[in-house]
Amino acid sequence: MSAPKIRLDSVSKSFGGSVVAVDKLSLDIRDGEFLAIVGPSGCGKTTVLNMLAGLEPATSGTMALNGKPIEGPGAERGVMFQDYALFPWRTVRGNVEFGLVYGPAGNGLSPAERTERVERTIEMVGLKGSQDKYPHQLSGGMRQRVALARLMASEPEILLMDEPLAALDAQTRVILQDELLRIWGQDRPASERRTVVFITHAIDEAVFLADRVAVLSSHPGRLKQIVDIDLPRPRGDATRRSGDFARLCQSIWELIREEAYRATMN
Amino acid sequence: MKRMALRLVVPVLLLVGWQLLASGSAQAPRPSTVVEAAIAMLRDGDLLAGLATSLGRVFAGFAIAACVAIPLGIAMGSMPTVERNLDPLVETFRPIAALAILPLVILWLGSGSGAAIAIVAYAAFFPILINTISGVKRIEPSLMRAALTMGLKPLTRMRVVLLPAALPSILVGMRIGLGIAWTAIIAAELAVGAKSGSSGGIGQMMFVFYAYSIDLNGMVVCMIAVGIVAFALDRALRWALAITVPWSRL
Amino acid sequence: MSAVSLTGAKAAGSTRFGGALVYLRTMALFVLAWYVGSLFVPSKLLLPSPLAVAAALRDTALNGELFGNALISLARLLASLLAAAAIAVPLGLLMGRSRLWNDLLELPVEMLRPIAGIAWIPLALYLFGIGHRLPLFIMFYTAFFPLLVGTAAGAAAVDKRLIAAARTMGLSGPTIMRRVIVPAALPAILVSARLAVAASWTAVVAAELVGAPNGLGYAIEYYRSMLSTPTVMAFIVTIGVLGFLTDKGLRQLSKVLTPWAQTGAAR
Ligand SMILES: Nc1ncnc2c1ncn2[C@@H]1O[C@H](COP(=O)(O)OP(=O)(O)OP(=O)(O)O)[C@@H](O)[C@H]1O
Ligand SMILES: [Mg+2]
Repeated sequence: MSAPKIRLDSVSKSFGGSVVAVDKLSLDIRDGEFLAIVGPSGCGKTTVLNMLAGLEPATSGTMALNGKPIEGPGAERGVMFQDYALFPWRTVRGNVEFGLVYGPAGNGLSPAERTERVERTIEMVGLKGSQDKYPHQLSGGMRQRVALARLMASEPEILLMDEPLAALDAQTRVILQDELLRIWGQDRPASERRTVVFITHAIDEAVFLADRVAVLSSHPGRLKQIVDIDLPRPRGDATRRSGDFARLCQSIWELIREEAYRATMN
Repeated sequence: MKRMALRLVVPVLLLVGWQLLASGSAQAPRPSTVVEAAIAMLRDGDLLAGLATSLGRVFAGFAIAACVAIPLGIAMGSMPTVERNLDPLVETFRPIAALAILPLVILWLGSGSGAAIAIVAYAAFFPILINTISGVKRIEPSLMRAALTMGLKPLTRMRVVLLPAALPSILVGMRIGLGIAWTAIIAAELAVGAKSGSSGGIGQMMFVFYAYSIDLNGMVVCMIAVGIVAFALDRALRWALAITVPWSRL
Repeated sequence: MSAVSLTGAKAAGSTRFGGALVYLRTMALFVLAWYVGSLFVPSKLLLPSPLAVAAALRDTALNGELFGNALISLARLLASLLAAAAIAVPLGLLMGRSRLWNDLLELPVEMLRPIAGIAWIPLALYLFGIGHRLPLFIMFYTAFFPLLVGTAAGAAAVDKRLIAAARTMGLSGPTIMRRVIVPAALPAILVSARLAVAASWTAVVAAELVGAPNGLGYAIEYYRSMLSTPTVMAFIVTIGVLGFLTDKGLRQLSKVLTPWAQTGAAR
């Protein structure tokens, strides 16, 4: 295996000295891998993602991307935020094209190519016909799809996604899971895939999508275990029905059940 | 229909009361004489000329205030060090009513348009500044973060994220500032007119009606004109707010 | 800039003490700049030095003129504010809660409100002459509309569910007004009181400048005509300080009366 794309070395993060959100997390994220992170609410998933994005410094430990320390945000790491962070003054189209128009992601694209990509992405997330609406005119699920489209349109090398499908209905979610795998490049050789860090609450979603699932425990947030998902690719509906799939879901559930109960009960 | 009638009850009563009260004295203005005076003043152009002078000063002073207050507010809202160090000055000068510095301004700039414009600029400055600062500070932090992760350069970020996000608040500040500016110009012209003769403008016209020609009808016409302009200015900025920020439901 | 937006929070740490230090530092620099500037302006009439202003402050404070005039202006402010509140708040509650009252009063209010209190000064001069009544009337008028409109808006915006809840508990109409609507509208009323006071301060200066035999506005104008710029500035400083203190007092009052409401907004 080659050098890791991203390396976290005993990274800790505390807020105001007292709240330890992440405690000595060490994790290698491989180039082209699809890594899912699961864990109970409040265990520090968003905090880890923010640190990877370069939006928050670690309190201690080191984080490196391609061997260089992560010091701030960069356009090669695209982020989809848990609260979407849509620009309220821009329409659906205005939000989706944002990174292409104002950031480096659109460099080298002709206006026509840019428009084409924006329209294609909007269509892919099923928002055709709503291009000219403002975020406040959309439902929660539609907003989430705008945020997803905004991330996809920029085609960043690394995708950092914070519960990107959580607000969707079951059918849309399945469709977008398949779509996400396609964009990630599951039909292509491993060397041509993007790197994805994908936070979710849904164990089945993590198992279906990921190469590996990192299970976090809470208070303080620690890495409990990394589970390899060796289901064959390309994955599809057959994968969802397979016995291996169910067994993997079950074993991860065993890992976090205790935690989840503890988190819920107090 | 019944509601319409209901809404007219008090205005009609006020007009009747005014007419009755005024009928005791020959000099007192009545609704009918005020209308006559208004027609006469409109016909000879005095009223519109006075309003135009005052409005010109308001727009000049207002433009100066906005050009200084908006960039300054953005700087103060986005850079805590700048805010911390300049806030004492703002907090010190903000409570000083614009009219209080009028004597000083007259001393420095004379009693012409320059002084009036300076007073307007001072009066409109603080509402615009304070609303710009708070608009910038209340930007959803995740919006700035999103722009950062998409690799926007600082100036682009300011232009396409910070400015639009703060725009509703800036426009609210401008609306408040314009209202205050209009009040200030009346007061300034009134006070200047009271003390040092000619300055023009609607405020001075009112003073002349009081002090020299003792034309109460003309005075009331001026007051009504002041009200109509204030109303129109407010509506205009509300409308500007509604069309420039269609995404917000202020 | 990115530092703020990244953490999303203002660099909080600044203690009260630190804040006071920054304040003193900034103002010291300002006064220093003023002093240096005054050295380059040949005419003491145009720009007296801060020392001259301080001396004028001391002199007027010692001979009682400063406090005398300040007291008069403050008393006028308080009297007219109380009178305005006594009428505007009950009327505002009625307008906010009753469609009939709203229909009756909305039009005349919207017709009179845009006419600034200051625009009434010439007419008031004619009616009342120079004296106490003119500034009192102007300030009353100026404070009245913000209070009325603010109270009406606050009363109209009271959460319907709160009133429904009170009804289901069998409270009578007047009790609901007193125990539910008034407390719920109180934060809005207090915010409008702050706006009213700010507007009244401007009006008092204008009214006294033109038509009163005493008070801060009068004193400013008097010393301007005496060409005593330092004293004019001393009175301007006094107006600023009093304006600041009255607003601070009202904010404190809001905190005491409505500890549940989040403060801020509408400065
Ligand atoms: N800015 C902050 N200041 C103080 N504490 C914070 C801050 N951000 C997060 N925390 C705390 O850090 C812990 C982890 O938060 P985080 O948002 O990373 O959880 P999460 O795993 O993403 O939860 P969820 O699944 O609900 O989104 C929580 O206990 C939270 O209260
Ligand atoms: Mg989270």
